[in-house]
Amino acid sequence: MIRLLKVKLVFQKDWLEIRRNWQVLFPLLFVPIVFALVLPAVAVVPTLSIPSHVPSDGLLAVMKALPAHVRDEIVGMTGQQAVAYMMLLYLFAPVFLIIPIIVSSVIASDSFAGEKERKTIEALLATSLSDGEMLLGKILVSFVPAVAVTTVAFIIYSAVADYMTLGLFNGRFLLPNTIWLSLIFGLAPAVAFADIGLTVIISARVKGVREAQQISALLLVPLFAAVFGQASGTIFFDPLLITTLTALVVAFDIIILAASIRVFGRNHILARLS
Amino acid sequence: MQGILADGLERKFGPVTAVDHLSLEVERGEVLGLLGPNGAGKTTTVRMLACLISPTGGSANVCGFEITREPSKVRDMVGILTENPCLYERLTAYENMQFFAEAYGVSPREERKGRIRELLEFFGLWNRRADKVAYFSKGMKQKLAIARALVHKPPALLLDEPTAGLDPESAKEVRDMITQLSCGEKRAILLCTHRLEDAEKLCSRMMIVNKGRCIASGTPELLQRKLVGAPVLEVVLKFGSTDTADAVRRLASVRSLEADGPRLVMVVDEPDSATPEIVDSIVRAGGRILSVNSLRPSMEEIYLRLIEEAGL
Repeated sequence: MIRLLKVKLVFQKDWLEIRRNWQVLFPLLFVPIVFALVLPAVAVVPTLSIPSHVPSDGLLAVMKALPAHVRDEIVGMTGQQAVAYMMLLYLFAPVFLIIPIIVSSVIASDSFAGEKERKTIEALLATSLSDGEMLLGKILVSFVPAVAVTTVAFIIYSAVADYMTLGLFNGRFLLPNTIWLSLIFGLAPAVAFADIGLTVIISARVKGVREAQQISALLLVPLFAAVFGQASGTIFFDPLLITTLTALVVAFDIIILAASIRVFGRNHILARLS
Repeated sequence: MQGILADGLERKFGPVTAVDHLSLEVERGEVLGLLGPNGAGKTTTVRMLACLISPTGGSANVCGFEITREPSKVRDMVGILTENPCLYERLTAYENMQFFAEAYGVSPREERKGRIRELLEFFGLWNRRADKVAYFSKGMKQKLAIARALVHKPPALLLDEPTAGLDPESAKEVRDMITQLSCGEKRAILLCTHRLEDAEKLCSRMMIVNKGRCIASGTPELLQRKLVGAPVLEVVLKFGSTDTADAVRRLASVRSLEADGPRLVMVVDEPDSATPEIVDSIVRAGGRILSVNSLRPSMEEIYLRLIEEAGL
């Protein structure tokens, strides 16, 4: 039976360590700020060079690969509006998933592989805490900040994007919308969990934090594929795709959690250290 | 309550046998020294007894709980000092103690706070309780690690190199504390060490292990006898004389004697009881004694010879 107070104890201890480690804290603060502030600017500033009277028809010719419902959304928009709309609402959506991956990867690597690297794991395993309590505490200390940082970054992104496009869209708020809400509160937590699970498994096999981080960052590869797929029109992050992906990643999460439980056992960890 | 009891303990890592049918017993109030070279299986034995890894054979009980069937209860009964201090360096000394006290279930809060203060004061770390462990010296870290091992008042202690990295004064303090824990508080202590000085001063019994196997065990006296036979006594006189040598040779407790000028070397059965008798007979024969020495080999010599004999 898992005692929640013991889970909280592991969570608090790890969180205290994370708060005092700039190597972990820096990417936690830096990456979301960059994404939340820079991406809206990247989307809006280039549109200023597009004459406001140019209609979006020309762009539509370029964006033939867009699904019909998206083409309908931008019908009647000016070129400026269409470019800002497409970038802010669609193009950057998969890019934002980098945040939960980076945050969870950095924290989970420090929490799992870091205990091995700093040789603190043996004393932890010698306590009366169960394997499940330790695993859950450590998963939560990676998962909660990953979701929180992603959410805060999204709020800032939405505020900045809306502020910058308020004039362009005649006082209409673009964000939040269904796509982004399902992405931030559905797909992003699922992706963060998958990354933590992968990090647990990787951490059991490697000796250091850097190694664990580098390997767990491999999850960025399919994400970049999704970004390029969206940019080239091969795939499109609409609510249906996000829901489908969330379901698939959740299924993957269940599999990876089962694998993590098997890997995160006293016998297994110390046998590898011996 | 029982101490530590292992019967035919075995642990294999793939084709390598780290611990090979090791049996040992540590009673409450006793310190058993586990001595051996690197890779002898000492740390693996400690890890099995602390339920960190499972044995691949044999069985062991700690304070009445079987290590494979009731690992959680065994962990409650055991305080472990590992090879490394295993401390969270970004946390303060107090935060480290608090985490482990809570993890071991020391409650209520007031008792936990009292226990932490008691241990930090005992080890002279109370004034540094708010400092991060990263800023501690090696000796301070070692003391804090021992304090952590004791935080839940475990009846059994597994100490791996407790005086490693300590200056002579701190090492003595730790040795005194171990003596207090075994004699005063009647804890069962298994002490793994390379430092034969520690083993000699602290252990009532010793076990020398090599390649996972026990090659000798017993009290220090028993090990000495096993290796070199009967003890040898050396008496140095101011002047050598045949009368003095003859007087000693006639004693029943002296099995043989070799006189080399003023130096008499004799084999005796029981040096403790024979020495006063020998001294008395020399004085009666008119000899003047400069020194009396037992020529027993040191623990270091015994250890090295046993390891050599075992084929390292």
